[in-house]
Amino acid sequence: MASFEYNGKAVDVDEDGFIEDPSVWNEELAKALAEIEGVTEMSDDHWKIVHYLRDYYKQFGIAPMVRKLCKETDTPLKRIYELYPSGPAKGACKVAGLPKPTGCV
Amino acid sequence: MPETVENASQQMLRERLPYYVENPPATGLVERFLDAFAAILEHTDYKPLLDSYCRTTNKCNRCSVTCPVYQVTGEARDVPCYKTTLLLQVYQRYFSLGGWMRSQFNTHAFELTEEIILEMADVFYRCTACRRCTLECPMGMDHGLITRLGRYILSLAGISSKALQVSVREQLEGETHNTSKIPKVAMLNTLEFLQEELEDQFGLQVEVPVDKQDRDFVFFCAVSDYLMEPDTLLGNLAVLYAAGDWDRWTIGSCNYDGINYGLFYSDWHLERIIKQLVGEVERLNGKNLLIGECGHASRSAHDFVPVFGGKRPSPVVSFIEYTLDCLRKGKITLNPNIITQKVTYHDPCNIARGGWIVDQPREILKSFVKDYVEMTPGGKLNYCCGGGGGLVSIDEIHDYRMEVGGRKKAEQLIATGADICIAPCANCKKQLKELVEHYEIPCEIMGLHDLILKAIEIPGGKSAEERLEEAQLYAM
Repeated sequence: MASFEYNGKAVDVDEDGFIEDPSVWNEELAKALAEIEGVTEMSDDHWKIVHYLRDYYKQFGIAPMVRKLCKETDTPLKRIYELYPSGPAKGACKVAGLPKPTGCV
Repeated sequence: MPETVENASQQMLRERLPYYVENPPATGLVERFLDAFAAILEHTDYKPLLDSYCRTTNKCNRCSVTCPVYQVTGEARDVPCYKTTLLLQVYQRYFSLGGWMRSQFNTHAFELTEEIILEMADVFYRCTACRRCTLECPMGMDHGLITRLGRYILSLAGISSKALQVSVREQLEGETHNTSKIPKVAMLNTLEFLQEELEDQFGLQVEVPVDKQDRDFVFFCAVSDYLMEPDTLLGNLAVLYAAGDWDRWTIGSCNYDGINYGLFYSDWHLERIIKQLVGEVERLNGKNLLIGECGHASRSAHDFVPVFGGKRPSPVVSFIEYTLDCLRKGKITLNPNIITQKVTYHDPCNIARGGWIVDQPREILKSFVKDYVEMTPGGKLNYCCGGGGGLVSIDEIHDYRMEVGGRKKAEQLIATGADICIAPCANCKKQLKELVEHYEIPCEIMGLHDLILKAIEIPGGKSAEERLEEAQLYAM
């Protein structure tokens, strides 16, 4: 299993850099994961997406439908791609510490 | 957790294969492969098929001119017949009397090695199983079937794509019983969201039927639609509502995933997944399986519910067939003045290659699209999107899918000059969206029902023209 280091700590991640255990997530880790995703600074807009994803994940055990994410955070999909260049599923979800999406996603 | 160190054989396998493999076998790959092959031959009907292929194969290479992968790479390993021969030579040597006898007298006789197994593991996952080659083979060989059989043997020997494997494991053994791990509460929450969207767009207040007994249709879409494709689902809902069939259908909350990756690499899983679908229909005492927009989900249900669906298997209806039926009977109206852009249609291999669903979507589209243009070649002769056979779900081979698998499709798409390309398949949509981004093609990819959603007239709801005006206002 691969691991990812931040602030001197090691976290288990899968081949694509998604953390294996969502419960170890914290904001420091999110910032470190964001850097890998090409996000140099986490702005309020970045955090809004991440917090919404985490809240939804805690309640429902999966990421929301992409359009629901856009609607509820008032962020057009184009803007999400600007914030997270790899997109909502592979980029934003990774920073939010959600598991890698499976199936035809 | 102690770090497990992989041996040289496992490391070689990882270096050799472009896709991730979970726990590759540490030893005895050749024995594992032969054991798996023997077990499959004992418990299936592949033997007469392989005997026949061994006798009839001409190695004439006509298949190469049809293969979208070979056309791009020009490499021998991508000739469909070459791939098939890799497996047939193993069959002949180890499972036919003649092959065994030759091996006793000929010191240069073929012997299976790890290297040959790794070559198969490579080439069988370069093939998109689109079966375009079957149209050209003078001997009627189905190289797509050999791709599946090869992957099946490999999976039992311990080599398969991790992306496919984890999805199938969740579908068969996980808590959610679907490939995208969507729990029931999340699916229900998504349905609520879709109801809100219907209210916003049409001014309609409806409740999506869940777990209703004795309905005519039990609906299974590619479960990823619940995450990625709101407009496809809304289009499905709009047709059901407009046609007056709202009381005739239901979604089952125990199983709502039509995806069947078994079709790509394992007959055993294929059967188990089909039985899960059939079990859900039986639980609800439904009459038909209504399969959403998805090529392989439609084909796997259409071809294999009759095989594995018990004594009286339920009929399988593709949503495209259902919508066309509604249109022909005058149960739905599509406004011909809404879609003014140039529209083309991509045939998903799994429903088009066998000639099952070719004309139906065209009849629907031509009824309300002013500027429809064909993609050439199309229909049964179509080119694969480049992500078929499960390859689209394997993220780590993205570059291969763009530069090799999907190159012919991208060229075709550019040649149409279309503004919108309709692709009624979750696999194809994902791959084509990545292709238009990669090649910077100014074409929007959407499902058939995404387009229908824009043009459909629903009794008691806002008209298509009103909705178009609102959408234009919103976009400004």
